[in-house]
Amino acid sequence: MASTPQVLAAIVLVTLFLIAVVMRRPPLGTRSTLGNHATAFAAIAALPILVTWFGFENHLEGSKSTSFCLSCHVMEPYGESLWIDDEDGHVPATHFQNKRVPQEQACFVCHTQYTMFGDLQAKIQGMRHLYVYYFGTVPETIELYQPYQNRECLFCHAGARVFEQSELHAEMRAELEANETSCLECHGPAHDIENLADLERWSGVLSHD
Amino acid sequence: MTESPQATRAFRQAGLLVGAGLIVEAITSQFVHPNAFVSFLALGAGLVGAGIARYLWAIMRLRGASQR
Repeated sequence: MASTPQVLAAIVLVTLFLIAVVMRRPPLGTRSTLGNHATAFAAIAALPILVTWFGFENHLEGSKSTSFCLSCHVMEPYGESLWIDDEDGHVPATHFQNKRVPQEQACFVCHTQYTMFGDLQAKIQGMRHLYVYYFGTVPETIELYQPYQNRECLFCHAGARVFEQSELHAEMRAELEANETSCLECHGPAHDIENLADLERWSGVLSHD
Repeated sequence: MTESPQATRAFRQAGLLVGAGLIVEAITSQFVHPNAFVSFLALGAGLVGAGIARYLWAIMRLRGASQR
């Protein structure tokens, strides 16, 4: 089945053909008929708006990918931390290496907010990141907009056997749900960028790109 | 609507702007990269928007002229 970029390219080709027709025979004078105006409107306004909208959606979807996030060099250490060789210690590495999150959307899955407008908010923040990266000053230390919320962890882990059967989790359940105690107090530091240089890397079967 | 060199030129300019924008959009949509995203928005969508604005402006002027 054709991918979205291929479909977009096909619609663009059709639109370019229609634009060529309109440019050669503009709907003026004796050619000022309803049909010719409809063709001009479709070629110069309706179809381009459609292509732009779907293209924008396609780029937004692509911006969820791990490779998209890691293509900015300020994110490279965070990408590198996904390869730390520590099966139980480093949360991002164990999630990524054991496919507890989809590897192609690893950053997005953990860093979006699981609220009604969480996806939208993540996309708006992503646009802001792009703006800062290209036109602003990237801060030396990358920080989250707000402390990491347990809600994001519990979205997957609540109800999961490995989480539910832990007595400690059961005892602390209310605190965890209220975000009074962060999951990272026991399971952190998350990316551990400060110690990255001293940590071993796992070079397993996954492609390291 | 009356055929005039200005009106013909306006349609052709609009077509060229939109066509160029669509080509940029089609090319950048093949890549998943921040550069492609920014080019899509700033260049592709910008050219398409300018072309549509030129087209609408031409239509409004033509309509105004024909009413006079």
